[in-house]
Amino acid sequence: MSQRSAGLRAYFSDSYRWLWIAFAVAVLVLPAVGTNYFVGVFTQALIYGLLAISLDIALGYTGLLSLAPAAFFGIGAYSVAKVVVDWGVSYWLGFPLAVVVAAVVAVAIGYGPIKRRIGEVYFVLFTLAFGVLAHDATYVATSLTGGSNGLGYFSPPSMLGVDLGGTVPYYYFTVLVVGALGIGLYALLRSDYGSILHATRQNELRMRYLGYDTDREKLVAWVLSAVTSALAGALFVGTVGLAAPSMMSFQLSGEVIIWTVVGGTGTFVGPFIAAIVLHIVNNYLGNVWPEGYLIVLGILFVGFVFLLPEGVMGAIRKRLR
Amino acid sequence: MDLTPLLTSDQIITYALNGLSNGMILFLVASGLTLIFGLIGLINFTHGAMVALGGYLTLVFVGVTGSFWLSLVAAIVVVSAFGLLLERTILHHLYEEPLLGFLATFGIHLVVEELLSFRFGDQSRSLTAPFPGSMDLLGVGYPKHRLLIIAIGFAVALVIGLVLTRTRLGLEIHATAIQPDTAEILGVNSRKVYTLTFVLGTALAALAGGLVGPITSITPGMGTSYMVQAFLVIIVGGMGSFKGSFVVSIIVGQITAFGWLILAPTYVELTVFIAAMAFILYKPRGFFGKPEVFE
Repeated sequence: MSQRSAGLRAYFSDSYRWLWIAFAVAVLVLPAVGTNYFVGVFTQALIYGLLAISLDIALGYTGLLSLAPAAFFGIGAYSVAKVVVDWGVSYWLGFPLAVVVAAVVAVAIGYGPIKRRIGEVYFVLFTLAFGVLAHDATYVATSLTGGSNGLGYFSPPSMLGVDLGGTVPYYYFTVLVVGALGIGLYALLRSDYGSILHATRQNELRMRYLGYDTDREKLVAWVLSAVTSALAGALFVGTVGLAAPSMMSFQLSGEVIIWTVVGGTGTFVGPFIAAIVLHIVNNYLGNVWPEGYLIVLGILFVGFVFLLPEGVMGAIRKRLR
Repeated sequence: MDLTPLLTSDQIITYALNGLSNGMILFLVASGLTLIFGLIGLINFTHGAMVALGGYLTLVFVGVTGSFWLSLVAAIVVVSAFGLLLERTILHHLYEEPLLGFLATFGIHLVVEELLSFRFGDQSRSLTAPFPGSMDLLGVGYPKHRLLIIAIGFAVALVIGLVLTRTRLGLEIHATAIQPDTAEILGVNSRKVYTLTFVLGTALAALAGGLVGPITSITPGMGTSYMVQAFLVIIVGGMGSFKGSFVVSIIVGQITAFGWLILAPTYVELTVFIAAMAFILYKPRGFFGKPEVFE
């Protein structure tokens, strides 16, 4: 009993955990104190946080810099919109569809480059081509994607008697999904699997000598990252009720990369928080000075790459160590 | 059987020349990229911003001086100076880290593009051609400015090709690309070679941006689409291969000029992208790329 309370005390004395508990409480009570508008902004911020995590799995943990997170985000968004708008079946079918389509596309795109070990520079260019291809395809494949009009409009259905179409219910739904996925992925990456990825990124040759099939591990991480992006996209489409080509745009991919690098690649928490903070900043700065956000973001970003390549979270962890 | 030709010969000549002039612009963008990539190994994402900057500066200087050529030269000088500044202050620290180098140039690209849209707005501008009107070529009236672009493209290809193969500087660039350490021991100032190559590439981007002004519109994002296409061109042509970027740019120009007869324009673009992806996978050195050597 005493041992357990000591364990508990140690648990809570860690200031880091207090921050998390404070964050969780703030997230839960937000609708009670914030305006409806802010709740809406924060819903999207949380989803972007998940998207940043998905890129961090690829870039930070596996060392694969993808220029196409938005492509998978768009796949998720279009899956849900397609299911509801064009096929008229249940909204909930969109999520498994998003997962399956994203996984299949991720394997199709990732298998060749990873298996052939084309190197990080070529991987960047490969995903650049894929990202632009996916974005262009949304305009061309009009019967599938609705072209530049996109697929819409719809609103999320009721679940257990709660209408998810409202801002606050959808917010809690998002908190639930992002929370569950975030904690699940965090646990996964803290496990042995995460160590394998870290070790592979640092010294792939040695890991191969140790008997690990590093290609397979990288491919699994790549698919995991793609599926997470797609789930973020599937969640996001519920907030706007429309799947549009801009969700696949290169600009979104660029922003995701910035969030991830500013937050700190390979830190998991950093990109998540950075995405939330920067999205909120974007929203309020965007009203005052529309171009200002990207200018500030760009300068901030160059500064980070140059002065603090490990990102905010990386720097904090280094100091704590 | 109905043998009515799909195109008259006049149309074929017009399309071919359109393809050639667009291909030349693409070549000017791609050659700078491929030089920088081949020598430094840097995925230079500022390149698109430099194209747009070249276009806008030409526009601004035309407003002041009234002369297109003077403005173009001034724009190239200013953009080159900007490239020099970037290379000396930020980028040369990041040559050992390809991912960080890419990320830094990506950030700079974003800042420049947004500053342009902040200063000039998002609506497109256009330049008046220095030689307006068209001239008769093979029995077809064709815009003079496009012919000029073709001529300048060939001239640039010739001059830079000669610099790379016939001069001391070209030799030093080759040596640095192959073995920087050995080149250094043999008395090559590799730092200077890196800087010169970066500035040369940037100047080519600015030239493309200014030249293209009279035939397309100038927008803050104009460089990005050229740059993305140019990346695919240098993949297919072979990263670091100057000759490759020339040949493939012309091929891509012709494919886009004639491809729409069979496929919708967007599909033509998609095909080029898919080809580039296949090249990365199965022939990462492209048609002409020898490892790290360009000529």
